[in-house]
Amino acid sequence: MTTVAALAATPLRAAFVRAAAAIGVFAALASLFFVSIGQPPATMFVEIARAAAGSGYAVGESLVRATPIMLCALATLVPARLGLVSVGADGQLYAGAIVGTGALLAWPLAPGPVLLSAVLVGGAIGGALWALGPALLRAFVPVHETISTLMLNWVAAMLVTWLVHGAWRNPASQGWPASIEFPDTARLPVLGDSRVHAGLALALVLAVVLHAVLTRTRSGLVLDVLRDNPRLQAVTGCAVAPRIVATMLVGGAFAGLAGIVETSVVQGRLQSDLANGAGLAGFLVAWLAGNRVPQTVALALLVGAVLAAGDGLQIATAVPSSATLVVQGLMFVALLAVGGASARWRGVGHGRG
Amino acid sequence: MAAADALLTGLPVSTLRGATPLLFVLLGECLTQRAGRINLGVEGQMLVGAAAGYGVTALSGSPALGLAAGAAAGALLSTVFAVLTVAVDADPFASGLAVWMLGFGVSAFAGTALVGLRIDGWMPWAGGITPTIALALALVPVCGFGLLHTRTGLRWRAVGESPEHARAAGVTPWHYIVAGVLVGGVLSGLGGAALSVDYTRTWAEGMTAGRGLVAVGLVIVARWNPWLALPAALLFGLAEALSLRLQAADSAVSAHLLHTLPYLASLGVFAITCARLRRRPGGGAPAALGALLAR
Repeated sequence: MTTVAALAATPLRAAFVRAAAAIGVFAALASLFFVSIGQPPATMFVEIARAAAGSGYAVGESLVRATPIMLCALATLVPARLGLVSVGADGQLYAGAIVGTGALLAWPLAPGPVLLSAVLVGGAIGGALWALGPALLRAFVPVHETISTLMLNWVAAMLVTWLVHGAWRNPASQGWPASIEFPDTARLPVLGDSRVHAGLALALVLAVVLHAVLTRTRSGLVLDVLRDNPRLQAVTGCAVAPRIVATMLVGGAFAGLAGIVETSVVQGRLQSDLANGAGLAGFLVAWLAGNRVPQTVALALLVGAVLAAGDGLQIATAVPSSATLVVQGLMFVALLAVGGASARWRGVGHGRG
Repeated sequence: MAAADALLTGLPVSTLRGATPLLFVLLGECLTQRAGRINLGVEGQMLVGAAAGYGVTALSGSPALGLAAGAAAGALLSTVFAVLTVAVDADPFASGLAVWMLGFGVSAFAGTALVGLRIDGWMPWAGGITPTIALALALVPVCGFGLLHTRTGLRWRAVGESPEHARAAGVTPWHYIVAGVLVGGVLSGLGGAALSVDYTRTWAEGMTAGRGLVAVGLVIVARWNPWLALPAALLFGLAEALSLRLQAADSAVSAHLLHTLPYLASLGVFAITCARLRRRPGGGAPAALGALLAR
């Protein structure tokens, strides 16, 4: 009996120890940063917590910020289940925003439900298309997907800048380069008078479906098998190449949705710099969650809260909101350090997969 | 003819100017990868180098001090990558991206104090060459000779090929890996400072715009050889100089679209290199990187 209890308790206890260590390392690093900028650490932690979750409004802003990060994390997770390291969520997000906005510009007067579906589906298609190039290059050449997806991120960002300065610029927006405003018929509904929108619900539903597909179906199992041993493709008859393309496209569609939802509901129009670092944050979220869906969703919510705290922090303490970017970076460094150390402790190499 | 003249006059110097920040980073990342680590954090190290270099130049009035500060800032940030990937053996890709994110945050935070500061930078010598360009060019033979023709370089490469064999030969691998990461930190910080202090002479949040990550890809194009880093950097510089000149010459293509040229050119040669490496496995890649690059 005791051995059974001990076996059951060990992984859980290890997880608690890891979490406590991660929080400890993070608190130490963040305190060091706060002291170095002349702020009392305790006050800063309280202010960040208050700005992230201290009121209904704060919670709403945290959820709004977490939504694109969650979708971008899922975009990283799907190819990662096959062992691919795609860092292209930012570019796919921009491409989704472009195609989705293009759908609006093509049929601005379409009836509401048709227009809304066209915009959302356009976003997903745009993201998938942007992932197609690196996917084909990886499957058939092979060109390393990490570097090709990274380089394309800047290309997609510049395409958005090009469009909003040129062909798609709203003449009524005076000097500001942006597309026309999305009409209410092309926007997902929002919750009450907050900015929380149905995009969050959509992301959560997609996460549940994705989790079921990855853990409960044959397709999901095949990905796990091929990731752990690519040579099995010859034995099992499960070709890797089509699955590389498929996982990259599905991932791209998730990131594309993040882009069009952010553009249509949160910002209300296409403009430059809409990604706001969501793709990179999403990558690290998925990675640190071990590319498992439930943990990814939880960590995305936490990161969204930290980033959303930036504006509140600026108002309450006059510390620039970019301080939370540093805090976010320190958080990821702490999580990686503790994850790596515990893997090393157990005698496992690089904490991948 | 006049348009073609405007496009081509002084193009070599413009190419060199655009290539210089990238050349520093490329040499640094080349040495890092030869010791067996791929550091995507060079993007963040460039950013802190650019911010520190710009700030110190503005305060001291000395671009040389600015470059030194940029190198120091890059080295400092690269210690985070060294601790993560050597001391606790965390995944190098994720660690690099975390360092990038941290560098972006730190430079954005520090950079808010830099807005409105002005710098003079260096007066170019005859022909438009600045001390920064000369330093970058001088580093090519230093890195090339040091890595390929000295005893230290041999050990450095041995660690990148096989840490186990290096250890058996009496070399302590982690000394060289940490040195590789730190040298990469110094050179990427220098590259960032060269960008803000000498090339654009401004500071803007996220101003490196992917140059560090382009460098990671171009290391593979240069086949992990410091001598070949020069033509690889010049290719990026040429694409950038051409995009700026076409823009100045009122090209029919939008400036924003032309800005994608350096990235697409880099991606193109990267893809071609990968396709050719397929036929000649290895192709100069440090063997210890093999598991990361060709999974």
